[in-house]
Amino acid sequence: MFFQQIVNGLTLGSIYALLALGYTMVYGILLMINFAHSEIFMVGAYCGFWILSILPVLNNYSGFILILVFLATLIISGILAMFIEKIAYKPLRRAPRLSPLISAIGVSIFLQNLIMLSVSFQSLPYPERFEIKQFQTTGIVINSLQIFIFCFAITLMILLHIFIRRTKLGKAMQATSQNHIVSQLMGINVNGIISLTFFIGGGLGGIAGILNGMYYGSIKYNMGFLPGIKAFTAAVLGGIGNIKGAMVGGFILGILEAFSAGYISSENKDVITFLVLIIVLILKPGGLFGEQVTEKI
Amino acid sequence: MKFISNKIFLFSLAILLIIIFPIIFLRLNPYTVNIVALIGIYLILCLGLNITIGYTGLLDLGFMAFYAVGAYIAAILSTKGISFWITLPICMLAGGLMRYLLGLPLLKLRGDYLAIVTLAFGEIVRLVANNSVSITNGPKGLPRVGEKIMPIHIFSFVFQDNIHFYYLIFFFVIVSIIISYRIEHSRIGRALIAIREDEVAAELSGIGVARIKSVAFVLSGIFGSLAGAIYVHWIGFVSPEMFTFWESVFLVAMIVIGGMGNIFGVILGVFLLVGMPEILRSSLGTVFIDYRMLIFGMLMILIIIFRPQGLIPSKRRALELHTIEKD
Amino acid sequence: MKNRILLFTFYFLPVFFSGCMKEDHNVIKIALVSPFTGDLAVLGQGMKKAVEMAVEDANASGKFKGITLKLVTFDDRADPKEAVNVANRIISDKKIFGVVGHLNSGCSIPASQVYAKENLVMISPGSTNPKLTLQGLKNIFRVCTTDDIQGNFAANYVINNLKIKRVAVIHDKTAYGQGVAESFKNNFEEKGGKAVSFDGIDSGDKDFKALLTSIKTKKPSLIYFGGPYPECGLITKQAKELGLNIPIFSDDAINSPEYVKIGGKATEGDYATMIGIPAEKLPKAKKFVDKFKNTYPDTDMQPYDTNAYEAASIIINAIENTNIDKLKIVDYISKIKFNGILGKTSFDKNGDTLNKNISIYKIINGKFVYVGK
Repeated sequence: MFFQQIVNGLTLGSIYALLALGYTMVYGILLMINFAHSEIFMVGAYCGFWILSILPVLNNYSGFILILVFLATLIISGILAMFIEKIAYKPLRRAPRLSPLISAIGVSIFLQNLIMLSVSFQSLPYPERFEIKQFQTTGIVINSLQIFIFCFAITLMILLHIFIRRTKLGKAMQATSQNHIVSQLMGINVNGIISLTFFIGGGLGGIAGILNGMYYGSIKYNMGFLPGIKAFTAAVLGGIGNIKGAMVGGFILGILEAFSAGYISSENKDVITFLVLIIVLILKPGGLFGEQVTEKI
Repeated sequence: MKFISNKIFLFSLAILLIIIFPIIFLRLNPYTVNIVALIGIYLILCLGLNITIGYTGLLDLGFMAFYAVGAYIAAILSTKGISFWITLPICMLAGGLMRYLLGLPLLKLRGDYLAIVTLAFGEIVRLVANNSVSITNGPKGLPRVGEKIMPIHIFSFVFQDNIHFYYLIFFFVIVSIIISYRIEHSRIGRALIAIREDEVAAELSGIGVARIKSVAFVLSGIFGSLAGAIYVHWIGFVSPEMFTFWESVFLVAMIVIGGMGNIFGVILGVFLLVGMPEILRSSLGTVFIDYRMLIFGMLMILIIIFRPQGLIPSKRRALELHTIEKD
Repeated sequence: MKNRILLFTFYFLPVFFSGCMKEDHNVIKIALVSPFTGDLAVLGQGMKKAVEMAVEDANASGKFKGITLKLVTFDDRADPKEAVNVANRIISDKKIFGVVGHLNSGCSIPASQVYAKENLVMISPGSTNPKLTLQGLKNIFRVCTTDDIQGNFAANYVINNLKIKRVAVIHDKTAYGQGVAESFKNNFEEKGGKAVSFDGIDSGDKDFKALLTSIKTKKPSLIYFGGPYPECGLITKQAKELGLNIPIFSDDAINSPEYVKIGGKATEGDYATMIGIPAEKLPKAKKFVDKFKNTYPDTDMQPYDTNAYEAASIIINAIENTNIDKLKIVDYISKIKFNGILGKTSFDKNGDTLNKNISIYKIINGKFVYVGK
C-alpha cells in the first residue's frame, strides 16, 4: 500500500505543483495572492473539454491531438490570465495590499458563476479520447495516464526552470521580482514582464486543469476552489515566491494528502491540509526555501 | 449641542420607523417580515465583521465560523433545556474566547496572509462540524430526532411568529449599531483608524497595536456568535452546509460594496445584496437571484477599483484610499 | 451627514413598494419547491416536467369545472435559509393548496415548520431523513422511503442474494448518503456480514485513490456507497484502475444515465436500490413513462420524477375529493388509499408512506436493469 500511495501522491502532486507555480510566480513579482488562479485552472479544464469534444477519436493522430489541445489551452488560459491582470489588478497596483485580493475574489466569483450559468451546473464527463493502459508490478497498479501526467509536469517544470535561469526574459523576470523600479531603470519593460508572468503562470494552471480533467474524468464549475487552496498551501510550504519551492511543495503536499487519506482518515484529509497551511504560515511563513515574511513591529 | 440632539432625534426617528415598519408597510405579511428579519441577522453579522474589516482593516474570510460556533453551542444547550437568555451570553463568551485564542498567533500575520488563514480556519470549522457526528450530529444537523430547540420566552410570552423574532433581532441590531458607533467614536476607534492607516506609525505613537487588534477581533466575534444563537432559535435548525466559504465571502462583499468602515455603508450593503434580490423576485422572478453572485462578483471588482470606499463612503476612508493614487 | 441620509433614503425607496401582486380568480395553485439552480438543478427540472404533466392531465380531465390548476415553482437552492424564505412566501399566497417538496431533508425540515403554521400540506418526493416525519406535524408526508429502508434492503440483498460477507462502506458525509450507509452497515453486521471499513469522503471531491488503496488492503468483495452519481461514478472507475475489481452497490441517487457517462466501463456490474416497483410492472407507471418520453423526447428521466408526479397527483386527488376545501386536505390525505404510478400508497400516522417497495437494479451493458427485489 505504501508505494501505491506514493504513486497516487506523486500524480496528485504533479497537478498541485503546476498549479502552485502560478501562485508563486505572481506573488514573487507583484506580492499579491492571485485568488482567481483557481478559476483559470477551471477554465483551462473546460477549454480542453471543448476542444476534445469537437475532435473525433483519431488513434493515428493521438500525439498530434494531444499537443494541439495542450498548446491551445496554454495559450487561452495564459491570455485569460493576462486579461484579468490588466483589468482587475493593474489599476490597483498602488492601492493598499488588500484591494487586489478583494478584486481577485470578485474575479473568482464572477468566473465561477459565469461558467456555471453559461455552461452547466453539473459535472461534465471528460471525453475519453486516448487509450489508457494499466501496468502492474509487485502489487502496485500504475496506468499510462499517471505516468504521462508525472513526466509531463516534470518536463514543463524543467523547461520553466531553464527559461528563468538561462534566458534573458527569465532573468528579467527575476530582476523584476526583486525590485520593479531598479529593473525599469535597467531598461526592462516591467509591465510586459508582469504580463508574461501571468501568461506563463496562467498557462501552466490551465494545463493543470486539463490534466485534472483527464485524470478524474469529470469537471465542474467549482472544481478550482479546493485544488486552488491546496496548491497555494504547496506554494507557501515551499516558500512563496520561490519557483523551486512551489515544485517541491506541490509534490510534498500531494504525498501528504495521499498518506493522510490512506493511513489517517479520508474524512479529515482536507482538515489536515488546511492545518498545514495555518501552521506553516504561523511558524515558518517563509516556507522551506523562502525568506522571512512577517513584519515585526 | 444642536448637532448632538439632531443625531439623537434622527436616531429615535429611525427606531420608531423600525418599530412601525412591519405593521404599516408590510401589513405583517409573514413572507416579507421574514425577509426583513433575515436582513436583520445579516446586519448583526456584517456590523460585527465591519469591526474587523472596516475599522481595523483586516480581511477576514472565515467569519461564518463564529456564526457556526454561536449556532451550534446554542443548539446543543437549548436541546438540553437551557433557556435562551442563558445560552446567549454563553455563546457570546465562547465566540469571543475563540476569537481571542485565534488572534494570538494570527494577528501577527500580514494582511493577505491573515485573509487566507481565516479562510482555512473557516473551512476547518465547517469540516470538523460535518465530521464530529457525536457532538454536532454531522451533516444531519441539530437538533437530533426527538430533540427540540427551546422556544424563547420572556416571562410567559413565547416568541413564535416571524414578527416576534423581527423585534428581537432588530433590538439586537440597534444595540449593535450603538456599540459600533461608540467604538468608532472612542479612543479605541481612533486607535484602530491609526492602525489601519499605518501600523508602524501607530505603534511608535504608543498604541499597543497587538492588544487593540485583539480587542477588535474579539468584539467582532461576539457579534457573530450572537447572530448565530438568535438564528438557530428562530429557524430551529442548524447544519454545516450553512457555513460555507461563499457565505463568508458574501458578508465581505456586502461590506465592501456598501462602504467599508462605516455603519451606513454596511447597512446599505446588506439591504442591497440581501434585500434587493428578494424585492425584485416578485417583478423579475428568480432570474436576479440566479445571477446575483455573478453581479456581486463584478460589483466587487468595480467598486474596489473605482470607488474603494464603497457606495456610502466615510469621508476619512475616501481620503485614505484615494490619496494613494497620487504618486 | 445630510448627504448621507439622502443617499441612504434614495437607495431604500424600492423597499416601500414591495408586496403589490395581482391575483387571478378561479385559479388554484400547486407549489413545487426544489433546487432549480446549483448541483441538483437537473433533479428539480425533471420534477417540474413531471408535475406539469400531472397538472395538465388534471386540467384536461374536466374534473375541475371552471377552475384552472396551475403549477408554481420555487427554487430553494438546497439552502435551508432560502427554503424558509420560500416557505413563508408560499404560505402568504392563499391560492396555493399544497406543496410538492422539498427535495433535500435539510430544507424540508425547517420549511415544514413554516407550513405547519397554516396547516398547508407538504408531500416530499425525496427527503429521506427520518426526522422529517418525527416532528409531530400533521401536514407533512412523503412518498419516498426513509434512509433506513434502502440501506436495510441493500444489506439483505448483499447477504442473501449476492452471498457476500466482506464489504467496504463509503459515504459522502451528507445527511442522505451517510444515513443510507449507516443503515446498510448496521443491518449488514446484524445479519453476520463484516464491514471492513467505514469512511467518509467530501462531496465534490474527485480523488479517491488513496482511500481505495487503503480499502484494497482490507480485501472486501463489494463496496457500498451512500451518495449520488458524481462521486459514485468516480469511485467505481478509480477502484478498477487500482485493480480493485469488485462491484459497487449504491442508492437511488445514482439512478441516472450520467452515472455510466462518468464511470464508463467500470460501472458494468454495479448495483443500486431504487424506490418503487419498476415501471414495466405497473400499467399506470408504464403509461406515465411512455407519455413522459413523448412529451419530452430528448430528456432523460431523473430519479425523483415519478415521486414528484405521484405527490402532485395525490394533492390533486385531495383537492378534487374535498370539493376544493383547503381545510380538509390534510385530513383527507392522511387517510388516503391512492393507487398510482408508484403502486398503492397510504401514509402511516407520522406521514411516512406505507409503500415500501424497493427494487434492485444492476448495470448490464451500460444500462440499469431490474434484477429483483
